[in-house]
Amino acid sequence: MKTGLYFSLIFFCLNVITLKAQVTGLEIGNKSPEIVLKNQKGDSVALSSLKGKLVLIDFWATWCSPCLEEQPKLAKLYKKYNQKEFTCGTGFEIFGVSLDSRQSSWEEVIAREKITWIQVSDLKFWKSPVAKTYSIKALPYNVLIDRDGIILMKNLHGDELEKALAGFVVK
Amino acid sequence: MKFKAPVILMILMATIMTAFVASPSSSAGEPWSASQLLSPADLAKTLNNQKIPHPVIYSIGPQAVIKESIDIGSTRDKANLEKLKNNVAKLPKEANIVIYCGCCPFGNCPNIRPAFELLNKMGFKNHKLLNLTQNIKVDWIDKDYPVNY
Repeated sequence: MKTGLYFSLIFFCLNVITLKAQVTGLEIGNKSPEIVLKNQKGDSVALSSLKGKLVLIDFWATWCSPCLEEQPKLAKLYKKYNQKEFTCGTGFEIFGVSLDSRQSSWEEVIAREKITWIQVSDLKFWKSPVAKTYSIKALPYNVLIDRDGIILMKNLHGDELEKALAGFVVK
Repeated sequence: MKFKAPVILMILMATIMTAFVASPSSSAGEPWSASQLLSPADLAKTLNNQKIPHPVIYSIGPQAVIKESIDIGSTRDKANLEKLKNNVAKLPKEANIVIYCGCCPFGNCPNIRPAFELLNKMGFKNHKLLNLTQNIKVDWIDKDYPVNY
């Protein structure tokens, strides 16, 4: 009788955890809202296509100075962690979402900074529906998600971001 | 009980001083004075009133979001600074000019200083910087002030 009760309790808890993870939202533990935007070549890229990896969604723009300063730092992290095995994903990817309005500026900075990770934008500046979906009020802003798209951390920069990534590496 | 009033006065003074020091729109060491900062609410009020003259508004940042504003582009680029120079050259020195960027807080903005210094150097008398303390999103778009689109 007691064993049955324990099993029921465990089953209930697992259900609650699963249910929480399935909720799409912006809180840690929520499933990150889907983003489908075009890359520089005009091809649609979906955030969900990165399922299985640890992903940093980097909201930035070429008109944002702190964002530009951050790109070389992201490049270092990308190089260091891209092929690593994490407790919450296989490999590290960056999904760069630009709130630019000018295609030329966007492409110029991607080329200048030699950015090799995924870059997407609808070139709608603050009118971009993605800015609304993710409730972004200022740039830079980022969201770290796990292999299932679950939000792990939000708006980490510099050493804090590196520490977070290092903490997820399989020892 | 005797020292209550002076203590309250000191707290009040400290609060006021802190507010001035911490103010993101502080003008100390900047090419503009405090009186040359225009509040977004005041500009919005002007733009919503068709019976009064409107200033000439230049966007010197990412996009000409504000209604009636002229798109110059980021004035951290010399070519765009030259564009601003050519554009304002035709205006009388007494013209009411407003410039704005709104990419980020003033401390991080690479565009407002070169543009404002240019207007100072050219001898304009009534040029102002729009006091977007956070960015164009928070201080203008989210307040439903008039936009170009």
